Amino acid sequence: MLQFFKKGSSILGMNSRNLEYIRPFNLQRSKKIADDKLLSKRILKKNNISVPSLIAKIRNYEDLENFDWQILPPSFVLKPNRGFGGEGIIVVYGKKKDRNDAWIKADGSLISINDLKNHIRNILDGSFSLSNIPDTAFFEERLKLLKLFKPYTFKGIPDIRVIVFNKIPVMAMLRLPTQESGGKANLQQGAIGVGIDMASGTTTTAIQGKNKFIEKVPGTRMTLSGIKIPQWKDILALAVKTQEISRLGYLGADIAIDKEKGPVILELNARPGLSIQLANKTGLKERLERIAGLNIKTQEKGIRMGMDLFGGEIQEEVEDISGKKIIGTVEKVKLFGKDEKEIEVEAKIDTGAYSSSIDVELAKNLGYENLLNFFSSLEFPQNFSREEAKKIEEDLRKKYLGQHPDLSNIVIVYSSHGNSIRPAVKLNFSINGILISTEVNIIERSELAKSMIVGKKNLTKFLIDVNKLK
Amino acid sequence: METTISPIISFFIGKGVPFETIVLILMLPIIATFIAFLRQVVGIKAFGIYTPLIITFAFLATNGIRYGIVIFIAVLALGMIMRFVLKPFRLLYLPRVAIMVSVVAILILLMLALGGNFQRTGLAAVSIFPILIMITLVEKFVTVQIEKGNRTAMILAIETLFISIAGYYIASWKILIKFIILYPWIILLIIPINIFLGKWTGLRLIEYFRFKNILKKD
Repeated sequence: MLQFFKKGSSILGMNSRNLEYIRPFNLQRSKKIADDKLLSKRILKKNNISVPSLIAKIRNYEDLENFDWQILPPSFVLKPNRGFGGEGIIVVYGKKKDRNDAWIKADGSLISINDLKNHIRNILDGSFSLSNIPDTAFFEERLKLLKLFKPYTFKGIPDIRVIVFNKIPVMAMLRLPTQESGGKANLQQGAIGVGIDMASGTTTTAIQGKNKFIEKVPGTRMTLSGIKIPQWKDILALAVKTQEISRLGYLGADIAIDKEKGPVILELNARPGLSIQLANKTGLKERLERIAGLNIKTQEKGIRMGMDLFGGEIQEEVEDISGKKIIGTVEKVKLFGKDEKEIEVEAKIDTGAYSSSIDVELAKNLGYENLLNFFSSLEFPQNFSREEAKKIEEDLRKKYLGQHPDLSNIVIVYSSHGNSIRPAVKLNFSINGILISTEVNIIERSELAKSMIVGKKNLTKFLIDVNKLK
Repeated sequence: METTISPIISFFIGKGVPFETIVLILMLPIIATFIAFLRQVVGIKAFGIYTPLIITFAFLATNGIRYGIVIFIAVLALGMIMRFVLKPFRLLYLPRVAIMVSVVAILILLMLALGGNFQRTGLAAVSIFPILIMITLVEKFVTVQIEKGNRTAMILAIETLFISIAGYYIASWKILIKFIILYPWIILLIIPINIFLGKWTGLRLIEYFRFKNILKKD
């Protein structure tokens, strides 16, 4: 129990965040920039930081009456300038055909000029701003979703929250919009937050909403850990650069990755939330305390420090020295079958086996059904001894190889279940980004948990860490 | 009574300040500190400091806390219902709140009449100021509803009710009242206590609960 309270000092709480980080490091002037989206957009753009481009702004009722609706492109986003928590944002995906006064929203419903006007009036009246002060509405370009994130995302666009303190990126999380959050990347509204390893940019643990730990995207089989975020170093660089420009000493930068533009700054947060600690299952305070007062001269140094201090640096180093990738005992494998079929499965990494084998069902899916039918029509000797096997194998090869285009070999495998005669095919697959061209044999594995095992013949380029989680 | 009263209090009474008023005013800093403590150390947010404070005093000013709680709950329930009723009209903020306030006012009037009907004259005897305060509570509630959603608004409202009830019992605690009129200068202690609270950087009790999964790790 005492231990429990002692460990509390590793976590950043509301009191400490406000008093020790926001108050001294985020000055009023900088906070003003963060709270004013148009202003931060302008300042960042002037400093060559990529931001979603502004289409138009509406400052008051007069602007609204005189607004030329035809300047709007087919897709855009309407935002309140001082909105918070993702409230009051409307995302429009396309123009309704045959109508020039209506667009289509994220959920497929229509939105007319009148609806937009009404919404803008609400924005102008301050319905979405803190303490209801009158606000400005603006239109900006809609960012295009990266293909990688598509299966993980419900509508909307995911973003990456990076906490930067003292020029060092300290912690990060990927925020995925869900059905519950209505396509918004806001944890309070039920979005998913996934922790990120600072060194590699690979996702780790995940939460949905305020405190529900999850492993998969709800309702799907998409595992949330192990997603490799593209352009990771660029993202960290962008976050650090943004901190310098905004002069927010304790910054939460929201960065989205656009299909064409790459990483762009969506928003600056002068009071970033604390849930990022849950997504990463790690306290923020111990990290902040480690780097407080360090004199970081360059951005590169800051990024390097963040990656080294707060990432799985050991793994990266071992990989650098040995030139080999580290994998766990279960890894995702992408198989490339016939007719450009691609299937991803979880495979058992088995150093006890010599060659790799795949399950009959998986082989069928990869396009080898015809071969399997052919193979099962053949007659094989039964109950032979190990001494006889060598001879039988040779005979079978002589007899059948070349009779089917896919059949590259026939092998007899000795396993704990006894001997089995298996067909083998030429197959390419990739583990951890490394492509392997090999011959795999096919066997009934349906009673086993994994539909593939990778044998030591194909593991020469890897080191296996039994502690590594997939 | 005379023997246990501080000269400072006697001075004010001598100047014609009602005794009740003096006690209430001296209770104000204590309740405020109590609310600050709940926020910084425990983590109960409620609707800021003003709303629970003023509701506490509204409770103190109604005849018995029962009626105060009934009105409070009635106001919030109506606030919830009205949000759904008014949603399809898509009204702007101020007119929407004005409608809410009007409906709440009418409801309270009906409640008072109903109370009279059932011989609950205590309800009708509640003075106008606490009722007005309760009505304006609806604005606070609506604002939070818009900014943070229904669930949060409800949680904060319940927290506010909880704090106000606790505040009510603190402020009407006989021993405390006696103590304060005997040693009114004790109120000055409030300042160092609040300086301490204002510098408190430890985790709030609620945060230990929120981050329990990190704390329990390994």
